[in-house]
Amino acid sequence: MKDVMVITGASRGLGKALTLHYAKQGYRLGICARNEEEVMKVKEEAIALGAEVVAVRADVANAKDVDRFVSVVEATFGTIDILLNNASIFGPGPQLLADYDEHMFQDVLHTNVLNPFLMTKRSLATMLTNDRGLIISITSAAGQTGFAEWGAYGVSKFAVEGLMQTWADELSETETEVCLVDPGEMNTAMHDIAVPNCDYPLLEPEELLPLFDHIIQHRGTVNGKRFDIDSFLEEAGQ
Amino acid sequence: MTNLVSFHEAFSLPAHLHANTPAEHRGNDRSDVKLLHTERKSGRIQDHTLTDLTELLQPNDLLLFNRSRTIPAQLVSETDNVTVRLARQLTETSWEALILGKDKTVVQLQDGVTLHVQGDGSEAPLKRVTFHGLHEPVLSFLHKYGEPIRYEYINTPWSLESYQTVFASVPGSIEMPSAGRAFSWKLIHQLKQNHIQVGFLTLHAGISYYEDNQWPDPLHHPEAYMIPAETITAIHEAKARGGRIIAVGTTVVRAVESYAKNKHSHQGAWKDTTNLFIQRETPLQLVDGLLSGLHEPHSSHLELLRAFLPDDALLSSYQHALQNNYLWHEFGDVHLML
Repeated sequence: MKDVMVITGASRGLGKALTLHYAKQGYRLGICARNEEEVMKVKEEAIALGAEVVAVRADVANAKDVDRFVSVVEATFGTIDILLNNASIFGPGPQLLADYDEHMFQDVLHTNVLNPFLMTKRSLATMLTNDRGLIISITSAAGQTGFAEWGAYGVSKFAVEGLMQTWADELSETETEVCLVDPGEMNTAMHDIAVPNCDYPLLEPEELLPLFDHIIQHRGTVNGKRFDIDSFLEEAGQ
Repeated sequence: MTNLVSFHEAFSLPAHLHANTPAEHRGNDRSDVKLLHTERKSGRIQDHTLTDLTELLQPNDLLLFNRSRTIPAQLVSETDNVTVRLARQLTETSWEALILGKDKTVVQLQDGVTLHVQGDGSEAPLKRVTFHGLHEPVLSFLHKYGEPIRYEYINTPWSLESYQTVFASVPGSIEMPSAGRAFSWKLIHQLKQNHIQVGFLTLHAGISYYEDNQWPDPLHHPEAYMIPAETITAIHEAKARGGRIIAVGTTVVRAVESYAKNKHSHQGAWKDTTNLFIQRETPLQLVDGLLSGLHEPHSSHLELLRAFLPDDALLSSYQHALQNNYLWHEFGDVHLML
């Protein structure tokens, strides 16, 4: 039986592409998003591809929603093998920090930092008792370099990198692994906010999928690593 | 001390020993609780803290935990002035439940969901009920509108998270399997580093009190359990190496001894329902030691403890706990019988 994979922010962009990709491969999927109608639509598409899917409307920056979502997945499939922490928001942009609204800053940090913390902590209960697990969190080049007008989004991704580095160190003696994926600049609704009227080519979310396959195939060697799509495609000769 | 009735009447619990606050909210780490150790062979009693387990246990000992996760099993209907405590799941939408308040055949819940009383449960006062009008998994509905069951000694509405062990990952317990609550992942990692083995199983704990001085009869209160193949292998390997099997909680004793009674040498995963009532005369086939909370005079858990300790030793231990201000219940201290 194929692994159980949980994907947050599954209704659009990379989250949706990952859901449909792993549905085709026969994974049992637990997906969530804040928009119920959209996540249910993705669920139907994934079921049409032959997957078993549990979809829940949930805001994963909210601890109660996280517990409800993960509990429903555990009760349905009995386990969680892989967690993809994909959900995040950009906030206002492009905008100088000097102009940035304080409440918006708090909202972006709260959403982008708390959600991978809550989802990872909650899923670890299953993974550590099973002695098996893989957690992939989405980061950004803006999580290592501060870019003008990317605002709280970049700051939040710095925090996500610190969070996952800390967890990777703490889990180094276990069979559960944590790693990061920097997906580069993708053609998504979020990128439209960050870079309106973008005049250079962008990757489509589907072009990221081989990198996720690569990480899953190399389980046992990925803890603490940071993968970026540009290096991956370059090594693959693309 | 020769019978349960006299044992039950041998002590009463003073109000200040009802733990009403989780250890981490008393200003400490969740694993910072006291541990009372009663040696099974000698009856010798010693005071420790839980973190001393790394020294009290030996390499090759196997500590078994129940990873069942507490569900928010209490629903309140303000419309009908009724409180429903789910007691046991029968199917996705059919449950046994304790209904407190007005006598109703249909209870109005949130989101247009109703609960229909279908008849009597496995023992009085339980009723068999069915959810109607759900638009989501019943567990999702419970998480939206339910609360953990809190008893009268709790005066703060602690969150559901307070009623979980750190390793709780199989949703289904009506009340927290609380003996494992004080374990942190840090302590579990330290135990492993000291070559003490750790394993997990699942037994969904049911309701422990029916109100009005009524307690469940374990014989009429079956509980579902599952022991993974790797845990069964670990049990047999620990025994073969001369290690001891130490149950964290009475639920673990019930699961492992039920397994032993049915399929002692079975190697795959084992899944069943048990109504095994372990008491003083019950021979223990696999479990060598028990780490448990401290139990009230009339609970059936206390009867199970008599399978581990002679009545005199058990009573002495409880008197010692009373005199030394050990705390009772799910947020309290723990007792190792080994």
